[in-house]
Amino acid sequence: MKKEPFNRILDVNNFSFSYENPEAPLLNNLLFSLYENETVLLIGASGSGKSSLALCLNGLYPEAVEGVSSGNIYYRGKNIREFQKGELNQRIGIVFQDPESQFCMIKVEDELAFTLENRKIPSLEMPQRISQVLHDVGMEGVEKKKIHELSGGQKQKVALASVLLLEPELLILDEPTANLDPLSRVEFIDLLNSLRQKRDLALLIIEHEPDDWLDMTDRVLALGSSGKLIAQGPANTIFTKHAARLKKEGVFFPKCYMPENKNFGVRAPLPSSEEIISVKDLTFKRKRHTVLQNVNLNIHCGEFVSIAGENGAGKSTLLQLMAGLLPYKKGKILFFDRELQQWNQKELRKQIGYVFQNPEHQFITDTVIDELTYGMKLNGYTEEKQEDAATRLMKQFHLMHHRFSNPFSLSGGQKRRLSVAAMLDQTPDILFFDEPTFGQDASTTGELMHIVRQLQAEYDVTIVFVTHDMDIVDSTDRAIVLHDRNIIFNGNPEDLWEREDVINQARLRLPYRIRGIQQEGVIHDLIH
Amino acid sequence: MTNQWKLKEIVLMAVLGVVFGIIYLGFFLIGQGFRNVLAPFGLGQFGYEIIFGIWFIVSIIAAYIIRKPGVAFTSELIAGVVQVLLGTTAGPQLILSAAIQGAGAELAFALTRWKDYRLRILVFAGMGAAIFSFVWNLYSAGNIALAPWLLTSMLVVRLISGALLAGVLGKWMSDQLAKTGVLRGYALGKERRKQREKGAI
Amino acid sequence: MISSINPAMKAVTIMVPGLLLSFTFDVFTPLVYFIFILIITFTLADIRPMTWLKIFSPFVLVALTSAWMATLYANQTFSYGNVLFTIWGVDITEGSLMTGISLGLRSLCFVALSLLFALTTDSTKFMLSLMQQFKLPPKITFGILAGYRFLPVFRSEYQILKQAHRIRGADREPGIKGRIKQFRRYAIPLLANGLRKSERVAIAMESKGFTGDKERTHYHQMSIQTKDWLFFILFAGMLAITIAVSYSLGYLNIFGRQF
Repeated sequence: MKKEPFNRILDVNNFSFSYENPEAPLLNNLLFSLYENETVLLIGASGSGKSSLALCLNGLYPEAVEGVSSGNIYYRGKNIREFQKGELNQRIGIVFQDPESQFCMIKVEDELAFTLENRKIPSLEMPQRISQVLHDVGMEGVEKKKIHELSGGQKQKVALASVLLLEPELLILDEPTANLDPLSRVEFIDLLNSLRQKRDLALLIIEHEPDDWLDMTDRVLALGSSGKLIAQGPANTIFTKHAARLKKEGVFFPKCYMPENKNFGVRAPLPSSEEIISVKDLTFKRKRHTVLQNVNLNIHCGEFVSIAGENGAGKSTLLQLMAGLLPYKKGKILFFDRELQQWNQKELRKQIGYVFQNPEHQFITDTVIDELTYGMKLNGYTEEKQEDAATRLMKQFHLMHHRFSNPFSLSGGQKRRLSVAAMLDQTPDILFFDEPTFGQDASTTGELMHIVRQLQAEYDVTIVFVTHDMDIVDSTDRAIVLHDRNIIFNGNPEDLWEREDVINQARLRLPYRIRGIQQEGVIHDLIH
Repeated sequence: MTNQWKLKEIVLMAVLGVVFGIIYLGFFLIGQGFRNVLAPFGLGQFGYEIIFGIWFIVSIIAAYIIRKPGVAFTSELIAGVVQVLLGTTAGPQLILSAAIQGAGAELAFALTRWKDYRLRILVFAGMGAAIFSFVWNLYSAGNIALAPWLLTSMLVVRLISGALLAGVLGKWMSDQLAKTGVLRGYALGKERRKQREKGAI
Repeated sequence: MISSINPAMKAVTIMVPGLLLSFTFDVFTPLVYFIFILIITFTLADIRPMTWLKIFSPFVLVALTSAWMATLYANQTFSYGNVLFTIWGVDITEGSLMTGISLGLRSLCFVALSLLFALTTDSTKFMLSLMQQFKLPPKITFGILAGYRFLPVFRSEYQILKQAHRIRGADREPGIKGRIKQFRRYAIPLLANGLRKSERVAIAMESKGFTGDKERTHYHQMSIQTKDWLFFILFAGMLAITIAVSYSLGYLNIFGRQF
């Protein structure tokens, strides 16, 4: 049985908020309450103002952005405008999405002390509190470590620890796992689940992919695209009764409530046996540290290959090597039977495309159109040909209305599409993707996979993906798993899911398709 | 003064200090390139004079984006502190030099009562910083020992460098940044929006 | 040893000779003080000589450049004494040569002092002691630290940008125009991301209850102790002694005037 919520912590009363124009508010006339000890999931379409709501609740907005608000928010019956600066922040803590930009100190202990100093806790008590909270989040003994040397999952735990030191009553989590690998994500969620019980915390979780949180959720709030609250209630009613409405508003669904499992497209016809890239006995060292040791790998024309593995296993390095972005000394990489290093750079760049994790890193011009024609200009296309090709790409990638927009000012999904389109000024033979879905929402991911499938089917482009997303791995022709400087699995994804040893070693996770079946199996076993 | 500033504005100044800390390195190499060409004629220092203006650019960018009194001075001071944190070989004295340059840039904005941020004022600010730093270097770098004709030509080069590399380049970069949409929460971004809205009507 | 000196005090100490040496234009004073700095660096400072040499050596060339320029183009006040030789029609006098060497040595002193500071000082503690001893407002202190923390992020971003541009063939543009474009292509994405990050981190800090309030407790209690004063006295005292000896031996030269 779930705990019965008693007292209200927050009352949001006809609250509206906008950055600039009060006529078209981002958050529109919200009315809801949050109770002690309850866990609430806040869902909504991209850009529906979920993150802004979090910052309104702890009183930082509208002031921090000079926005406009109307209506009231009460914390324990007291209007939040009446709180001293900084006072409310200590009762309502927030953990943010990006692990890079929520710290101000270099070392873990200093970051945690920062919170305690803000609360004016006596210096003598600090070391004990710091080691206690690190113990609570399962990070004992990292006091003296530098934060930027920790992994993403560890950083988020430190972020959580620093917020827990506020001893808040309500903890808001703004997509805290969006940038984590699958296993770190599960670990983080488990950690929160046990903490909320130990510490009597109320949680407000903002998530694009709510599946893993559903077990601990008491209630769901759904924000619509116009900034209105369109539904609230227990998960099983929200995702069934209000399903049609939510879909219309572009809210993402947990996979378990989807009518049929949406797979990332069908497999393309079998690839040819011709090898586009073959890696032979490749060893790569960075300074004295060996990143890859004696790696052997063949990729066939028209194939869709995924490379998975833990952070630091050398996935991106392997990808950069195969794309000719890093020089190597030991071993061979053949591209169409010719050593990579013997290729003319210009020729090579025509045939190899590479899409980076952060689309912004690829942008080099001021407008979408210039971005698309950049490579064509370098290769001496006529104006006419440039225009034709660019128009075709803008149509295909739904960028027609953004012809003269600055690439940086596009939305996340548009940036992603543009970064791929810019690689297609001439159809490359092979396209590399370095974690292109990292930190992106479900619809952007779905869109990207659709495009990739199209490229593979229509133009016979070979695709290589480095990814943490096991649902994507599941949909590829071949999965390669890197671990400890070497390939420990190379074969059909179907077979990978059978190899528990590989999954555990490389800190992978089964795709939803298989997990779903297993869960049903457990329930089935319980009933019988 | 600092109470009127938002924390994000202060962090912005520090981030400018860090990013330009990286960019300065690139310019330092260019300066060394010039130096190597000019050195045999005893004009090696001129190599650095040509690129000197880039040291004031943080003042110009910060003031142009944030538009509050004291920003030109403080941002340069903060950039100086950041340089020291980055381990500059100019040492803690750099904080003092930065303060003097910043004061020079601030003077130009102060004369307009912090209301005018057109290109000409930004250019004046860059030249103000150039003059202040030049006077300071007469003492700190021992330039006072040099022949008057040489000093005059150094001053001219530094003024031009301050006007172009700080004033013009600073404005251009800020405008480029504004186009990316990241300045929405700052004075420059807001001004742009107002202009757009007016244009729309 | 020197790494345990209060960082703010250390900065002030380093600044004293850093400012006052600029008065002198003889060879003896900066030379003696330079030797003194070297002795301190390699006895009390726990700095690896190789590390030091690697950073220091390029500045010898810079020092030579400025020395050569001052030698060639010293003004009348500084070109006292006999003409030693003539080059390109310029007379090199004893005075101008001395001035040049003095300026070169002085700049080496500055670099050595800076390294003594930079290689023995923890950035966080420097900022904290500026706040605790010199009353730098917390808002500025932690604002600077938050920005400084992004350094490794920017460094790796810079590397990625380089690769991304290579993929797009953007590294192949020749000429000055190409160079300018290239500068823009690095600077704008770095700054745009930096700005977004600075907004986010400021919000995160305020979410942790930071208000800029000057009343706060300190995890690292920084203080100025006897040894910090001794350090100050050592550097200031040595400067005074050097100048005094220089004066008594008749070497001292301030702004071209012999004393």
